[in-house]
Amino acid sequence: MSKGPTTNNFILELRSQRHWDWKVAFYLYGAGTSAGLVFLELVLRRWAIIDEPTALSGMAVGLVLALVSLAFLFSHLGPSARWRFPYVFRKPRTSWVARGAIIVTVLVLLRIVILLPSVPGFTGLPWGEETNAGALLRMAAMLFAAAFMAYSGLVLSSWNSIAFWNTPLLPILYIAYSFLAGLAALPLVVVAFYGGAKLVGLASVLEPALLVLLAANGLLLLIYVWGMATATMAARESVRRLLRGQCRLSFWVGVVGVGLVLPFLAVALAMRGDLGAELTAAAWLAAAGGAIQVGGFLLRDSFLRVGVYGYPL
Amino acid sequence: MVRWGFTVDLERCVGCMGCVIACKAENGTPPSIHWMKVVEQEEGEFPYAKRTFTPLRCNHCSDPACAKACPTGAIVKRPDGIVVIDQDVCIGTMACMSACPYYVPYRWDGEEGYYGDEKVPYEVEKYSQFKKGTAQKCHFCYHRIDEGRPPACVEACPADALNYGDLEDPESRVNELLRQKKHIRPREELGTNPGLFYLTGKGGGTVGGGK
Repeated sequence: MSKGPTTNNFILELRSQRHWDWKVAFYLYGAGTSAGLVFLELVLRRWAIIDEPTALSGMAVGLVLALVSLAFLFSHLGPSARWRFPYVFRKPRTSWVARGAIIVTVLVLLRIVILLPSVPGFTGLPWGEETNAGALLRMAAMLFAAAFMAYSGLVLSSWNSIAFWNTPLLPILYIAYSFLAGLAALPLVVVAFYGGAKLVGLASVLEPALLVLLAANGLLLLIYVWGMATATMAARESVRRLLRGQCRLSFWVGVVGVGLVLPFLAVALAMRGDLGAELTAAAWLAAAGGAIQVGGFLLRDSFLRVGVYGYPL
Repeated sequence: MVRWGFTVDLERCVGCMGCVIACKAENGTPPSIHWMKVVEQEEGEFPYAKRTFTPLRCNHCSDPACAKACPTGAIVKRPDGIVVIDQDVCIGTMACMSACPYYVPYRWDGEEGYYGDEKVPYEVEKYSQFKKGTAQKCHFCYHRIDEGRPPACVEACPADALNYGDLEDPESRVNELLRQKKHIRPREELGTNPGLFYLTGKGGGTVGGGK
């Protein structure tokens, strides 16, 4: 190795961001999945694949998930300072965080309004499913759900401080994951509210769609990581931490194993009829849905944790 | 219109940390908050090894990524280019901390003082100016600037490594230094237009040519 005054070995560790932690990851996962669930159940209802009670159950579960996610986000804000949270809406012209806050708030309000006619005591309200006002509200909910799915990736990709996030592929990946986790939540909703027998009837639609989404998400994730592995030094360091560093267990076991491979195998085998009777296959489908949720959260969490700044100079 | 800028002469900095202490003394920042930092680096190997020092602080960018990311509008740029945080508006989203490529802002959550839970009278007095749960960063000692005095770090530097001045004034000290020495701006390629220049050697102009 050459020695001399021209050999410069700068020792300055690449720092990962620590500010946006698992609470923000849960918000991005929970609110994203909730948006995906709302979008898909409105589409499935429009195509008459699911009935109205199932659609409304999905809407209610999505609403609860969004509210829980917002509670996590609230606890992430500064102690004492968090009570000034209405200020978060002030700068939508420049800040994606403000835009996201507006989108998620409107989406929550829309869902409450859509759900109201199904609540005892409010049944006479004139925006039920069959009315023009109801259709308009559902269309608006779909639009805002799509916007939130995109937002969950755009908020990170808009910052060029962290190279691993600073790519247009991140919103695409997060949209795809929101659709996947949203669709995977539907079997859980059906089982929780109506039992396994009803899920058997839906399995023929859900299983192929889940398989396609699982394969598409796996491919997108591969392209994403591959692309980042050939990008800037900070991005490559993020990939190293993700695949071989501190997040390797979370990524390989959680995101890839539990979140993609096992559900893919379970759904594929259920489709082939290799998992026994219809009810057993439906149980596997619900279990796969649960595993996909775990993978969806761990993806957001891992991506936040391996976000590495470039050198400050 | 004034635009305050800052130069750091990397050839002159001796790593005494005088600027760090002066900043702490002037602003009374809590233990976990460092508005001024000096990064030590080792370069080369024996017998040519040397230690270099790089002071890091807020660059008071013209196009600050922190202000863009802030959803509340708590981070504002004054007409003279100094970027400040309004603690009455900040809600502690920490978006600025993730968005700043120089990882400058901190959030103070009201942790213990230098001597544990019980704070000394100096800490009680000084920490009262920091609002719990809000972002904190260097404000260019604007209270001194407004009185016509230099920032505390500049005043304390014994090696004349730190200087400040009006970037719009061709006769200012910083512009004089920029004409005399080669310089770089930190991560200029990100488009933040930082107001801080690192002087790296004799000759004027940017490192690698250019204006």
